[in-house]
Amino acid sequence: MENTFAVEIKGLSKSFKDFKALDTIDLNIKHGEKVVICGPSGSGKSTLIRCINGLEDFDEGKISISGNSQNPTKESFVSDFHIGMVFQQFNLFPHLSVIENLKLGPMKSLGLSEKDAENRARKLLERVKIPEQALKKPNQLSGGQQQRVAIARALCMEPKLMLFDEPTSALDPEMISEVLEVIVDLAREGMTMVVVTHEMGFAKKVADRIIFMDGGSIVEQNSPGMFFKKPQTARCKKFLEQILHH
Amino acid sequence: MFRILILFLLFFTLNSCSSPEGTWGWYVIDPSTKAGWTNIKFLVGGFYSTILLSIIAAFLSIFIGLVVALPAMSDNKLLKLFNRVYVEFIRSIPLLPMLFWVFYGLPVILKSIGIDANIDAFWGAIITLAISDSAFTAEIYRAGIQSISKGQTEAAKTIGLNYYQTMRYVIMPQALRRILPPLANQFIYIVKMSAFASVIGMQELTRRANEIVVTEYRPLEIYTLLIFEYLILVLLISFGVRYLEKKLGSNESANS
Repeated sequence: MENTFAVEIKGLSKSFKDFKALDTIDLNIKHGEKVVICGPSGSGKSTLIRCINGLEDFDEGKISISGNSQNPTKESFVSDFHIGMVFQQFNLFPHLSVIENLKLGPMKSLGLSEKDAENRARKLLERVKIPEQALKKPNQLSGGQQQRVAIARALCMEPKLMLFDEPTSALDPEMISEVLEVIVDLAREGMTMVVVTHEMGFAKKVADRIIFMDGGSIVEQNSPGMFFKKPQTARCKKFLEQILHH
Repeated sequence: MFRILILFLLFFTLNSCSSPEGTWGWYVIDPSTKAGWTNIKFLVGGFYSTILLSIIAAFLSIFIGLVVALPAMSDNKLLKLFNRVYVEFIRSIPLLPMLFWVFYGLPVILKSIGIDANIDAFWGAIITLAISDSAFTAEIYRAGIQSISKGQTEAAKTIGLNYYQTMRYVIMPQALRRILPPLANQFIYIVKMSAFASVIGMQELTRRANEIVVTEYRPLEIYTLLIFEYLILVLLISFGVRYLEKKLGSNESANS
């Protein structure tokens, strides 16, 4: 485990018809590392992390998860090295209560008993600070609460790697911090994570490395300190100016 | 309710039109006479077959429709093709020719492959109605399932659910709310189309009406009653559907 990377990506390419979404990406992520990916829309950030957990197929290249080469077959989601994911639009199951949303994966996919799943779910709701909402339906919660439920739902599967796909982009401004706090806590506990976000304050705080993507390629990657102080490329400089001074 | 009132008024106006010269002959279904009562009992007795036929056909259609609809959502081109061919082919066949084909033709085919099955009018009608309707129920399922956002399937994948579990616990419970009202509508369609079973000798409402018409020669009165018989059936289903819609509708507004 120590010798392997959590995620190892070599020469990853993907096209949607004529549009090159990913262009020979190489990226290694260490165990426990927190990587933030930023870049303009259409730069391939989301596609990249969706390739990591197999939500998207890719045309060329290789992805290894914790040393195991994986073809994103439909069955690769559950393994010893489970990958959790949090979506921009939450994607909670609207017909199920909050606690049922959390219990579904552990019970059906991991085969936990109802009682064990319930215990696990309750603990996680405490952790994302909404234990009192357990029996409500998702649409009765605020956006920030919904996203915290979504994080708890992903954690219920005890993932070794968490992917966040613009977790705060669909939220009202006043709810962003409550979600980011939960993610920061998670980062402190040592979770390996890849976060696509434009929240640069958050990136400064938790990222071990910031990756800037544009046109399907990794244009620049650096530690947060260097990334913000001395962007190496003109494209990155321009991007930072735009999002920091708006 | 207003509709029913109008129809009843119409009925009694027509009734009062009966004259001694015999332009009208409501006596054929006059419950106060013995012959009239016997006729009514015979006619109303058709409810049993019509209802049984419709319910079995509807259940089969709901099942076949799902089996036909699921391949449409697959990534496999061949499965998709199967869905398209089935739906386009089946829904282009008029009910009556299909009924003849099943009743007179299918036994010949079965015999040629060594199955000596006699298809009676009852099952012939059920098979025809179920298959003919399944093309439509399949489209209803497809529309309902495709209306559930892709994010739901993706979220289900990331918590490790397989295809069956995703359908069973995530997609279908949500899609069903949208599918049920149009599906119930198809049930009304089946009830009405079951009248075609009369031409292959099924003793349902229409067949029984025809038989009394032949002996009494009072088509207007008997077919009027027949129409009312269907009206009652369809209104009952309508009310059921409306109740269902209301219940599901209020549910939906609380959930989404």
